[in-house]
Amino acid sequence: MSVRMVLVLLRKELIDGPKSFMFILAVVLPLILTLLLSAGDLFDGKGGLGVVAAEDSQFLALAQEVASIDVVTYADEASLRAAVERGEVDLGIVVPAGLEEMLASGEMGRLEAYIWGESLLKHRLLLGTTLVTLLRELAGQEIPVDIRTTTVGTAVEVPLEERLLPVVVLISILFGSLMVTATSVVEEKLKGTLRALTVTPATWGDVLMAKGVMGVLVSVVMAIVVLVLNGGWGERPFLLLLTLVSGAVGSATFGVLLGLWAKDVNSLFATIKSLGLFLYAPAFIYFFPSWPQWLGRVFPTYYILEPVIAVSQRGEGLGGVVAELGVMVVMVLGLWWGIGQVVEREKVGH
Amino acid sequence: MSLDLIWTLVCKDIVLYFRNPFFAFVTVIGVVAYVAIYFVMPDSVDERLDIGLYGPSLPAALAAEFEEGGIVFHRKESTRDLRQGIVSDEYEVGVFWPDLGAAVANDEPVVVELIFANDFPTDMREAYQLMFQEIALGVLGQPLLIEATEEVLGPDMAGQQIPLRERLVPLMVIFILMTEMLGVASLISGEVEAGTIRALLVTPLRVEGFFVAKAVMSVGLAFGQAMIILVAVGGVGERPLPLIATILCGAILVTGIGFMVGSVARDMMSVMAWGMVFMIVLSIPLTTLLMPGLLGPWIQVLPTYYLADTMHQLSNFEAGWSDVSGNLLILLVYSVVFLGVGMVALRRKFQ
Repeated sequence: MSVRMVLVLLRKELIDGPKSFMFILAVVLPLILTLLLSAGDLFDGKGGLGVVAAEDSQFLALAQEVASIDVVTYADEASLRAAVERGEVDLGIVVPAGLEEMLASGEMGRLEAYIWGESLLKHRLLLGTTLVTLLRELAGQEIPVDIRTTTVGTAVEVPLEERLLPVVVLISILFGSLMVTATSVVEEKLKGTLRALTVTPATWGDVLMAKGVMGVLVSVVMAIVVLVLNGGWGERPFLLLLTLVSGAVGSATFGVLLGLWAKDVNSLFATIKSLGLFLYAPAFIYFFPSWPQWLGRVFPTYYILEPVIAVSQRGEGLGGVVAELGVMVVMVLGLWWGIGQVVEREKVGH
Repeated sequence: MSLDLIWTLVCKDIVLYFRNPFFAFVTVIGVVAYVAIYFVMPDSVDERLDIGLYGPSLPAALAAEFEEGGIVFHRKESTRDLRQGIVSDEYEVGVFWPDLGAAVANDEPVVVELIFANDFPTDMREAYQLMFQEIALGVLGQPLLIEATEEVLGPDMAGQQIPLRERLVPLMVIFILMTEMLGVASLISGEVEAGTIRALLVTPLRVEGFFVAKAVMSVGLAFGQAMIILVAVGGVGERPLPLIATILCGAILVTGIGFMVGSVARDMMSVMAWGMVFMIVLSIPLTTLLMPGLLGPWIQVLPTYYLADTMHQLSNFEAGWSDVSGNLLILLVYSVVFLGVGMVALRRKFQ
C-alpha cells in the first residue's frame, strides 16, 4: 500500500464524495436530529398554558417563572382559541384588563379558560392548580402552608435529551463511516473501477483505505458537531477525539467489508436495513436506564458508543475506556483479515 | 390498450419488485414489524397521577374530588410504607398529610411533606408543590375570589384518551404507502437503466398502457399492504368505506410521486436520494398525529396532511363521510394532480 497513492485517491474522494446522496444524508441527518434534540419542549412532558394578556401583566410575569409549565403568549383571543383547538397548549386563558387590581382589592374577578379536549387529566389538574396559586399570589393572599420536599432512592434523573444523545452520536458515526464507505465501495465495484485498478499502479488496498479514511473523516467531524451542539464535548477533548476515531475506524472497516460483500446497492441497503436493530441496540439500551446495561456489551457497536459516552458524559479518563478500545482494536484486526480474504477471492475471480 | 398486455406487465412488475432484496425485505418486514409494534405498545393512556398518601385527615370528599380529577391516591399506613412505595416504583410522589385542622387550632405551622423519587424531574416538582398547596388551602377553607368559565374545545377526551398505538396506525399506513413510492420509482428507473422501456414501447403496449400497468401495480401493492396492516390491527372499524376511499387516494398520490421520482432518477441511489427528499417533506404532517399542535396551520399545504388527518378522524374519532368529505375532496384533487404531473414527467422523458 502506498501512502502517496492513498492521498491522491483521498483527494478524489474529497472532491467527488460530497456530490453523493449518502454523503449529504450523513451530514444532514445528524443536524436534523440535533435540532429536534435541542427542541427540549417536545419531550419535557409539561403542560402548556396559553395566555392572552397585556405585555406588562403581572400574571404573565409570574406564570413565566414557573418551571413546571410551558407558557406561550398569544396576541388575541381568536388566535388563543385556534391554538388550543390545535393542541398547541393544553389550557388557554384570557387575562382581562384590571384583573390584578380587582383581585388585590378583594373584588370578584372573572376569567375565561379554554381547555383542549385531548389534554391529559394530569395536565389539566397541574395547570389548573398552578393557575389558581398564581391568582392567589396576585390577590396577595397569605398562604399559611409550608410545603417541604425530600427525595428517596438512588436512581439519578437522566433528562430525555441526554438519553437520546447516544442515539444521535451513533447515527452520526454509522452514517458517516459505515454507510458512506459501503455505498462508495459497492458503486465502484458496480462501475467496474475496482477491476480496472488491477492495470494501474494503485492497489485495491489503496482504494479501500482512501474510502475508509473518507468515511472516518465524515463521521468524526459530524460526531464532533453533534457533541458540541449538544454540550457533550466534555473535559477531555483529545481522549474524546481518540474514542471517536476508534469508533469511526471500526465502523468504516465494517463498511468496506459490507461494500465488497454486497452484490449491488439493493442488497447492500437490504443488509444494512436487516442489521439495523443489531447496530443501534446499544443506543436503545442507554435510552432505558432501568434495563440491565450490561446487555449492551453483547453488541459490537457498544464498543463504538460506550467510550464516547463515557468520556463525554461521565467524564471518564483513559483508564475507564481502555478495555472497550482494546476490544475495538481486536475487532478492527478481525475485519481487516476478513477484507483481505474477500479481496483475494475477488482477485482470483477476475 | 390491450388488457392482456397490461396484466402481463403488472405480473412481471410484481415479480421484479419482490426480486429486489431491499424492497422485498422492507415490504414484508415492514408490514410484520408495524403490526408487531402495534401489539407491543400499551392499549391505554396513563393520564392519571399516582400519588402515595399517608395521613388520615384528608377529607374523604376532597380526596374523592381529586380522584375524579385524575389523581389516584395509594393510601399507606406509615411514612416508612410511603417511602417504600416510591422505592418499589408503585408511584413517584408521596405525600405526608398532617392534621391541618389541629395544626391551625394549636397555632402550629402547617407543614405538608412531599417525597419524590430521586430521579423525578426537578422541573415538575414545583407543579406538585403548588397542587398540594392548593389542596391544603381548600381544606383550610380559603376560597379564591374568581369566577372562571371553562370551555372544552374539540371532543372532550378526558378519561378516554387515544392510546399512542392507535395514533400510530395512520402513520404506519402512510409510511407503508411512501415506501411503495420508492418501489415504483425504482422499477421505472430500472426499466430506463436496462433499456427495457424503449423495447416495451415498440410493442402494441403503447405509453398509455405502460402507465396504466405501472399505476395498477403500484396502487394495488400500496393499497394491499395498507389494508393488511389495518385488518391485522383491527383498524377497519364499523365504517370501512370512507377509510378504503382514503387509502385508495393515498395510494394514487404516492404512485404519482413515484412516477415523478422515477422520471428524474437514474439508478437506485438517485431513487433513494430523490425519494428521501419527498419522504421527508411528506412526513412533516405526520408529526401532528403524535404531537398535535406542534406545527402551525401551514402544514395544510402538504397533501399528506389530508391523508393523515382523514385517517386519524376515521380511525380514532368515529367520523363518517360527512365529517371527512372536505378533506377527501382535497386529497383526491392532490392525488389526481400528482398522478397527472408524474405521467407527464415520465412521458417527456421517454418521448
